[in-house]
Amino acid sequence: MPRWLRHTLLTVVPVVAAAGLLPFGYSNQLLLFNFVVFLTLAQGVNVIYGFTGYLPFGYVGFFGAGAYGFSLSVLHLHMAPLAALGVGAAAAILLGLLLTPLLRLSGAYFAIANLAASLAVYQVVSNPNLTEITKGHYGISLSGVFNPTLAYSVAVVILAATLGLTVYLRNSRFGLSLQAIRDDAISAGMAGIDVVRARTLAWLLSALIAGLIGGVFAWYVSVFYPETVFSSEFSIFAIVFALFGGVATVTGPILGVIILYGVYNAIGISTPQYFQLIYGLLIMGLVLFLPSGLVSLFKRWGIDVP
Amino acid sequence: MLEYALIAGLVFGLYFCLVGLGLNLVFGVMRIVNLAHGDFLMLGAFGAFWLFNLVGLNPVGTAFLVFAVFTALGLPLYYLLVPRLQRAKDPEMLSIILFFGLSQVIEALATIVFGPSERSIPGRVFGTGPVHILGQSLPAAWVVSAIASGVAVLFIYVYLYRTRLGYLTRAVMVHREEALATGIDVDRVSAIAFGIGLALAAIAGVFAPFMLGSVNPSMGVDINIQSFAVIVVGSLGNPLGTILGGIVYGISLTFMQTYFSSWANLLPYVLLIFILLVRPSGLLGREVRSA
Amino acid sequence: MIRKLTVALFVAFFAVFTGAARAAGAPAEIKIGTLYAASGAFAAISMPVHQGLKLWVDQKNAEGGVFVKPYNKKIPIKLIAYDDQSNTATAATLYNQLITQDKVDILVADSGSPLTSVAVPIAREHKMLLIDQTGTGAAFFSKDNPYIVLMADPVSSIWPKYVADFLTQDGPKLGIKRIAILYATNDFTGTQANAVRGFIKAAKAPVEIVYDQGVPTTTTSYTVIINNIRAANPDAVITLGFPNNDISYLRNLQDSGVKFKWQFNIYPGLETEGLKKTVGVKGLEYIFTYVPSSVIEYKPEFGMSLPQFRDAWHKKYTDDKVEFGFNSVAGYTTGLVLENALKATESMDQLALRKAIFGLSGKLKTIDGTFELDETGAQIGEITPLGQIVPDGKGGLKFVVVYPHEAASGKPVYPAK
Repeated sequence: MPRWLRHTLLTVVPVVAAAGLLPFGYSNQLLLFNFVVFLTLAQGVNVIYGFTGYLPFGYVGFFGAGAYGFSLSVLHLHMAPLAALGVGAAAAILLGLLLTPLLRLSGAYFAIANLAASLAVYQVVSNPNLTEITKGHYGISLSGVFNPTLAYSVAVVILAATLGLTVYLRNSRFGLSLQAIRDDAISAGMAGIDVVRARTLAWLLSALIAGLIGGVFAWYVSVFYPETVFSSEFSIFAIVFALFGGVATVTGPILGVIILYGVYNAIGISTPQYFQLIYGLLIMGLVLFLPSGLVSLFKRWGIDVP
Repeated sequence: MLEYALIAGLVFGLYFCLVGLGLNLVFGVMRIVNLAHGDFLMLGAFGAFWLFNLVGLNPVGTAFLVFAVFTALGLPLYYLLVPRLQRAKDPEMLSIILFFGLSQVIEALATIVFGPSERSIPGRVFGTGPVHILGQSLPAAWVVSAIASGVAVLFIYVYLYRTRLGYLTRAVMVHREEALATGIDVDRVSAIAFGIGLALAAIAGVFAPFMLGSVNPSMGVDINIQSFAVIVVGSLGNPLGTILGGIVYGISLTFMQTYFSSWANLLPYVLLIFILLVRPSGLLGREVRSA
Repeated sequence: MIRKLTVALFVAFFAVFTGAARAAGAPAEIKIGTLYAASGAFAAISMPVHQGLKLWVDQKNAEGGVFVKPYNKKIPIKLIAYDDQSNTATAATLYNQLITQDKVDILVADSGSPLTSVAVPIAREHKMLLIDQTGTGAAFFSKDNPYIVLMADPVSSIWPKYVADFLTQDGPKLGIKRIAILYATNDFTGTQANAVRGFIKAAKAPVEIVYDQGVPTTTTSYTVIINNIRAANPDAVITLGFPNNDISYLRNLQDSGVKFKWQFNIYPGLETEGLKKTVGVKGLEYIFTYVPSSVIEYKPEFGMSLPQFRDAWHKKYTDDKVEFGFNSVAGYTTGLVLENALKATESMDQLALRKAIFGLSGKLKTIDGTFELDETGAQIGEITPLGQIVPDGKGGLKFVVVYPHEAASGKPVYPAK
């Protein structure tokens, strides 16, 4: 069996099947939907951080761009939701293109600049002078196209495609060349890899993923304020989940979301009073004791993880 | 209006220099992005609030006390977190996550201890009525805070450029591995710088009730972003560059408030990205790292 | 060790989610589900509301429960409350948890518009009536959605009516001709600024707006803005912001030595005790503000009076971490409306509850004034009059209601001293 097929069978198939079937047995669909959103976002972070080493601290910028691209084309152009999703994705890619100069920065400089960029987009979208176009701080209400069941199905499709993409990156020359750039950009360039083209492509792919899932999020939630879809917590959660599981693998981010977001919800429901405290301690423990993520444990035990 | 914006911006910016100073020192010495910086500032502010209400201690007195307490707190915290962090593959990135976790813990504890409400210290402790500078009247508390910031900058200058410890600290800033190889106790030097960095944040916090109106346990996030803007504009990793960053930030903010008030919050982000792209080393920095 | 821990986490996680699925039999208790934000950006407004509601719940349970008409007996209340940490995505999940897993009988929103907003479509989808405590965003209410009803605050678009009416009716007689508006750019205060503008325009009075600017809600420094407003030379300044904005603004105003002849802020009236501590008594003198239920004493026909409620609050919450104020009254009012609705409802069906709540409109007079709804479920009764805070001569402050005239308890001091 080829390696990519084994990876697909071990990761993509069970996750997508679970996401598709669970709503029939478990009624808090919104919780499942948020799981799908974070599974997708964590893989999006994986594409750019895991494979190229750029930490997208303002990743939510693409998510918000997708949400607003979707909502505004529904509101102003009366588009059908699926077509509007295309606009959301285009908005995210456009933002990604606009931000490609940031890729010249490295390390913490990139992370901070990316964070600033996402906040700048939020400030523009919520600005009162643009209320005519963006609805400004009054927020969005999309009750006309509200259809959580369909939105959930579309989200699962996006998740499946995103997982497929990471399986491809894990098993292809392109994925390998990205990792070569991450480890040593100069040597990679000398080995004949077009560094700028490769990392720009990864950056735009990861923007596309966030834009699509952001658009579906807007569709599902349907009433929201700009601070909802530009909340830095989306970026931070996605990054923490991906790191917890272990980046540059397919399994890592999946495990990260299922365990950490699961724990997050479990604490939130059982012991809400110490919610933030426990969560903060958990994150600190992760960095100090498992800096390369859960999958590094499996590797240590000699198991090949997809 | 223009003159007023200029002078108010200058004084306000001096305070923001103090806000960013500690973050920059920690980044400069340890290459650590301290996302809990704003939360240490918040703790300083609550310390001042608490001491004022309990024993009526003047914030200037609190500032000295807070300096000692937070420096002492920083040392064990350093040994608890940083050496372990630096053994990882990508400590600069992981520091962002680690200190995000710490900021959550601090915010949670502060909420449990102090409650979520807005708190402040009466403005009258610095005298009522404005102070006149160059024909413009400014709040007295602003002037006191700006002076405190000046003292802190002077202290950092003396520490870095006039003491042996500062000499070693600068060696670590330039090249950590080489400093280690030449036998410098890098951990001890860094731990002290870490403690001082936290203490500076806490001192900025002592004056926060006067400069920001009120404080609450979740204020740290906003402070972090503003601090980043200040130190990136000045020069990331060069503590003294923070002065210029603070002033540029303060004056641009007051100008935005005067001429495009609803866009004022866009400013720090645009300034930050612009400087990073055009001159990644900051206005005052040497030519360093650009990938 | 870590392998064991992982397994334990999985087990714990599934235990929580499956354990919650229980069938609703004979009601040993009435389940009220709600969210609060113990931390984050909305904690300062959410906690007082939540504690106000909790106070009502504990009081009822001490009396053996609340009377529920369909069962013709008193039934204890079980309050199921989760912390959303001011995070809207988490709030959405938890609202759904309350509906689908805890199967609550009554769904009460967190306070503040952003945390309420995500509950609106969820409640509607599950055909649960959303008891909206203080989410006053005008976009929540529409004629085609019967599943929302606003409890305590008036909807933002009518709240500042008396402020505008005073300036256009009484203002010109006093010599007020030039008005400045400064607002924080968020739904709550942005809508109020819009409303003020609209009311002033519609009045066609001889007043003009000479300064009209929005500032970000995170603004903490107003010294330069105050100087800019002064340059426009207004007779009256309307400042609309959240508590942190009002605190910064009023402190900066006092510190910079500028004195406007007529200055309005929202929170000196709504969160008086908090602002006395943060701004100081001196900084609140002669400020115009909303005179809310936590200050003037409506004669309540139902529930505790204001002094009684204040005493109960301070007795229950002795640590003083959450300020008593307008928001705490809002949470308590939610409880009172629910109590009356349960007393009158034909069944525990959501639309029957809605009918019962609408039946109270215009009749229920509580500590918060007269509860009154429009057809979309927006609250329009508890409009707060315009008042002025003046020194009481004993080093403290008192409120003088100046508008509307039929409620007035004194004359405005203009220009302010």
